[in-house]
Amino acid sequence: MKKLALFAIIVLIFGTVSPSLANQAYGQNDPSILLRIAIQADKQIVNQLDKKYENEIPNNINILYEKGHRAVESLDQSLSNNDIEKAKQDFLSAMNSFMQISRIISQSSEKVIVVNVSQKSNQTLESKLDRLEKYVKTLESISQKHKINQNDDNFTTAYSLIQDIRNQIKNDEDSSKNLNELQDLIKSIKNKIRDSIAEKQSNAVKNFFEKFLVQIDQKLIQAKDLGRDQIEIDKANELIFEIRELLSKNQINDAKKVYSELKVVLKNIGISVKIT
Amino acid sequence: MTLLIEPIQSKTSLGEEGILFVRNDSIFDTMVKVPLLVASMIIVAALLPIQSSFSSPRDLDLIIYPDGTTHVSAEIDVDPFLTDYEVNLFGSTIDNLVVIGDDGFLLDVDVIYDTALIQTFGSSEITIEYDIHDLVSKQGRLWTFSLDSPSDFTLLLPKNSAIVGMTNLPLNMEIINEQNQLTLSSGSTEIDYFFSTNSISNPDEEIKNEEDNSLNTIIAGIVGGIIAIVLTSIVIIGRKNQKTVEEIDEKITKEDVIVETNNILDLETIFKLKPDLREDDKELVKFIFDNNGEVLESELRKNFLQPRTTMWRAVKRLEREGVIEIEKKDLQNLVKLRKNMEEDN
Repeated sequence: MKKLALFAIIVLIFGTVSPSLANQAYGQNDPSILLRIAIQADKQIVNQLDKKYENEIPNNINILYEKGHRAVESLDQSLSNNDIEKAKQDFLSAMNSFMQISRIISQSSEKVIVVNVSQKSNQTLESKLDRLEKYVKTLESISQKHKINQNDDNFTTAYSLIQDIRNQIKNDEDSSKNLNELQDLIKSIKNKIRDSIAEKQSNAVKNFFEKFLVQIDQKLIQAKDLGRDQIEIDKANELIFEIRELLSKNQINDAKKVYSELKVVLKNIGISVKIT
Repeated sequence: MTLLIEPIQSKTSLGEEGILFVRNDSIFDTMVKVPLLVASMIIVAALLPIQSSFSSPRDLDLIIYPDGTTHVSAEIDVDPFLTDYEVNLFGSTIDNLVVIGDDGFLLDVDVIYDTALIQTFGSSEITIEYDIHDLVSKQGRLWTFSLDSPSDFTLLLPKNSAIVGMTNLPLNMEIINEQNQLTLSSGSTEIDYFFSTNSISNPDEEIKNEEDNSLNTIIAGIVGGIIAIVLTSIVIIGRKNQKTVEEIDEKITKEDVIVETNNILDLETIFKLKPDLREDDKELVKFIFDNNGEVLESELRKNFLQPRTTMWRAVKRLEREGVIEIEKKDLQNLVKLRKNMEEDN
């Protein structure tokens, strides 16, 4: 029995410590990625320096670049020697130097760069459309999960609008009308989902409230015994009664609103809203 | 000489003969408390994961779009005995927020500045998705992603972006649809990136390309060699048919050409004239000399595997010494050994 207990202790200690060990091990699963990132950064910095300064690189940048490049070489060496700790230091050193250079370049080039406004806004619009498409897909998966029939197949319309807008962006045409239409459609899809699953969701919320309010009742009795503010306790009981009334009428949203008021009152009494 | 301070363990646990002696009865006393210890450890072990899971997202994935807006997707374990759950968003300018609870229910959320109060009503697991404009800033052409994350997370960078700086060690990196996806640890992270016209290259592919290129070079070399042999044969046959006088003339002209190209000094003379040249600079001079006295700076870099700035400084040094001169050729630097170097001395 005692041996068993000791074994249990060892198992528990290992079980507590092992997640942190696993995490550290994960960080070191492929140190070569550090070299890949550092080499990419090195090349990119050289390109940027070449574009910006050609051969007239300011001395401070030159020193930083030399430092960064040396760190990349050292990183390569450290990885060859399987010295992971040194490799990590080299990586951070290289990336820090390249970061400083890129910031110096961007600060000094800010005034010079001419931004192509049309191109920029198109890119922003395209990204916005990508995000809206992702949003539509999320709503579609919820809709499918709950087998909700959307009016006139809203999702087909949404995807068709997205394609139209993409074409308009490509042809440099005004897409604002279609974009507004898409956004309205997304709102309508969302509302439709809410309405369709309201009943199911209501049942879940009702079940939760039933358990919850029983707990609150008990806590209010305890609070009364402890001599807490009677006015507040009475107010809480009234609100609980009101919530139960609303739940019986299936007015879930109203019940939630009253619950918000109840939370404040419970806090005043000194009752935690968490049930156990 | 006796020790003034003797360790307690050595007093109690060592016998007369210096043998390790352990008192069994004290162990038995301790063992009585073992069940209590085990019970408390079970409680601690059971509570630890719950505490950590409620305080931070179980899964956190971020996608940066080309315009800098970031899509956040987080899965969080919540206490099913709570009516609501407060989540700190990563900023205040957000769009397309959707929170899904157990069974795929859309949950109601009140967003106040950068905090979302989610009405969970018994959900034990929630998924939050939103787009945020606060995580990426831009200065000039440089984009900077900054985040203080409560947990490890993945970050998908936009296409054609190239990382030029980061403050954290990545846990992993993958390339997904020509986009870099980093796995990063919790805590403060800053990543700088540029948009590059060159697509992001996978070093493995690069190595493969280099291998392909070298193979192509070999094939081209073989074909070129055959052509050169054929041409040389034709020239030799042609020459045999030419008159002797012409041969003499040609020889004279050829010698003139050699004299012309070798108008530059030989290596020994150069090194005698410039005794203070650094050894690595001498290697450069030798390489230029072996290439008929002129070479592109890029070829020097390639041959000596030096970074651009290092080579540029070396070339400038040789120019200051008067050993070489730099000319522009097709937007590149052509490095030439100077003729008449003796006149300077």
